[in-house]
Amino acid sequence: MMELDTSPTTFLTEPCAMPFCKGCGHSHVIRKLNDALVKLQLDPAKVNLVSDIGCIGLADALFELPHSVHTTHGRSTAFATGIELADSVLRDSNLKTVVLIGDGGAMIGLLHLVNAALLNVDVTVLLCNNFLFGMTGGQNSAFSPLEFITPTTPRGNLIPPIDLCRVVEDAHAGFVARELATDHDLAGVIVDAIAHPGFSLVEIVELCTEHGTSRNEISGKALREIIERSGQRFGMLKRSTERPEFGDAYRRKFPQVEISWSAPAGSAVIAQSAHTLRNQMGLVIAGSAGERVQTAAGILCEAAARSGLYASQKNDNPVTQGSGFSLSEVCLGREEIEYTGIEHPDAVVVVSADGLSELTDKRLFERLKPESTLLIDASLTVPESAATVISLPFRSLCGPGKAASGAVACYLEKIHIISPELYSDLLAKKSKSQEPFFTAKFLEAVRSAVIS
Amino acid sequence: MQLRSGNQMIAEGAVYAGCRFFAGYPITPASGIYKSMIELLQQRGDLALSSPDEISALAYCVGASMRGVKAMTATSGPGWALMIETLQYALMTETPVVIALVQRLGPSTGGATQGAQGDILLSEFCTSGGYTLPVFAPSTPAESFELTVHAFNCAELLRMPVILLTDKEVGMTTETVDYGRLDLKDCIDRSQVTGGRKNGDLKTYAFSSLGDVPLFAPVGEEFKVTATGSAHNKAGELKKNDAETLEVLHHLEAKVTERKSDLTVIKSDCAHDAETLVISFGITARAMKSAVRIAREQGKKVSSLNLLTLFPIPEAQILNAARGVRRIVIAEENLNGQYRMLLGSLLKGYDVVGVNKIGSMITPDEILRVI
Repeated sequence: MMELDTSPTTFLTEPCAMPFCKGCGHSHVIRKLNDALVKLQLDPAKVNLVSDIGCIGLADALFELPHSVHTTHGRSTAFATGIELADSVLRDSNLKTVVLIGDGGAMIGLLHLVNAALLNVDVTVLLCNNFLFGMTGGQNSAFSPLEFITPTTPRGNLIPPIDLCRVVEDAHAGFVARELATDHDLAGVIVDAIAHPGFSLVEIVELCTEHGTSRNEISGKALREIIERSGQRFGMLKRSTERPEFGDAYRRKFPQVEISWSAPAGSAVIAQSAHTLRNQMGLVIAGSAGERVQTAAGILCEAAARSGLYASQKNDNPVTQGSGFSLSEVCLGREEIEYTGIEHPDAVVVVSADGLSELTDKRLFERLKPESTLLIDASLTVPESAATVISLPFRSLCGPGKAASGAVACYLEKIHIISPELYSDLLAKKSKSQEPFFTAKFLEAVRSAVIS
Repeated sequence: MQLRSGNQMIAEGAVYAGCRFFAGYPITPASGIYKSMIELLQQRGDLALSSPDEISALAYCVGASMRGVKAMTATSGPGWALMIETLQYALMTETPVVIALVQRLGPSTGGATQGAQGDILLSEFCTSGGYTLPVFAPSTPAESFELTVHAFNCAELLRMPVILLTDKEVGMTTETVDYGRLDLKDCIDRSQVTGGRKNGDLKTYAFSSLGDVPLFAPVGEEFKVTATGSAHNKAGELKKNDAETLEVLHHLEAKVTERKSDLTVIKSDCAHDAETLVISFGITARAMKSAVRIAREQGKKVSSLNLLTLFPIPEAQILNAARGVRRIVIAEENLNGQYRMLLGSLLKGYDVVGVNKIGSMITPDEILRVI
């Protein structure tokens, strides 16, 4: 961290008029935080205080020198995380961010605290636990001890308090401590927390003199006992630099490389008019998930693009990605494709029962024209339609994973709008195989089916 | 020509625009943007990471932007619902950020793999106070690239969140893209404060005229930033209804409405003797294009207007396109014509007809029938 020759003697607006109630622990926390910042000799431009909603959220206005970001309720740790992520990876990584949060913010933002600990981002969270929501009238919080009396637990709190220190410890936080606001070593613990490279949490237990004491027989002296009675401990609970701070880990894994955006080099078109297409056409390919229906369609689009055509591929599948039907609608045209749907397909490929049932549900076969072609696996019952039917055992001849591309190849062999060889070459290239993509036996079956 | 989806082109447009930070949470149909940004940013050493939810995703982006880095996230309806709180924080703290909202069928979890244009109102009217948010709607992969750059430029220029509104069909459909024909606009960076923290006259949200955009200062540099999501004066100090605080609240709207012309992008295809004007946007604008072409082949006199800027509503351009026509057809893939409802008072006196549906794309035939 950056140290200055002439570091400030205070970061607070002096004289500092604390806005808190008489005896409130927040005033202690503010002073101890200031002592820590002074002791660390930090450059104020490299200190950022992020505050939450609630009484402790008034803190940012008390500090004259550091940056302050006053956030929405519970989100303080998330905004702080974003600032520190950018600082540690994309800037100089010198910024120290301290989050001030109360009971409410800690619970709303529980996920943000856990994830900041998991990331091990360089954020220090000072959690001011006074057992209740002071600003809104003293209602109970997730930190209220058992039998604690508040306006919303008038007959005593039924739910045991959360041990947030343990929660973030389990999320691999490297620095976790619990202190009383009145502890003499609090400033020192805050110094260590801020200096810790990575996420740190200091839970500071304090008394809400406005709401905590009027209904419960407690005093500042009893706080330690109340916490310990609920099985929680004080002091340094965890201190380890075993895990690298997020920015360090990220920069090691992904070093900065100067790459400015550029359009993909060259054109993939091998021939401007290696096609014989006249009018825009639509092809629907239907099969089962995991059987490379979308690959068959994607390679068709690539072959078309390389032949100087415009293409679009619109996929559909149920919510699950690995089961049920898989559908691709391909439009090919000499002009840019406008509408990407297909009302009356020129060709329909159906290679599985899932695909057949989906297209039947969509009543697609009713919309086929006499000049349409239906290519269907021989294992399936041919649905009624006006189309010319080619029924071949695509699944058994090619295997289920190549049935869709086999049927597309068969259609190309029939209409020759683009080269069937280009299509099978691109399929072979995609499958990274030296062998021809389709067997001679299949190609022979295709030829005789097309001739007949 | 290359094969690209709208989602991929949003990611490429973001990188072109100078985006260096992406935080994402997967959601169909927006996950493609997340995946592409992980690829594109990590290979550059820029920051792309997974967040534990959509609230964190946007909050991380807003934090990164406060540190001075261009940032983006992407989501769909259910994630958008979670982001609205943080979007308002970005608006209030004048923090630039871009959110790609790839629509799917709603409400609630709705239909993850089903396109829709049902979040028009939800995307715009999601702030307490009813502030105008720039919303842009591409209909092709190429427009997805171009409007992403435009979205970043507007976010930087205005210091505010900007929304890219696409849907499953634009985002996930792969198409041939001719990179040579992309309109590569210059990238705009936010204007920054110069001079150090001793410059006591400067305030975090300083402006003289209501529509001015305050100079930006990054958290972590010399100038002291006082940022807050609470009602505040120009210095960023939490205030109740004093005059300066109300002035700041008016300023947040004025800076947008005064730059309406910079924000507006439309594609009009108007015939001087047209009797009918068709208005659409996003995926439906493509069916409109087909329908209008066929209608003209049939001898019909028809104009079309594709709104790439949905908000602020390009009122002048709409009225201009409507000049002389009798009938206006507004096509959008939602239940009851969300955008049409908003144009009611503007188009008073015209015979306004909606083409609406849910569950699948509006077809050219369906538009043709009402032309």
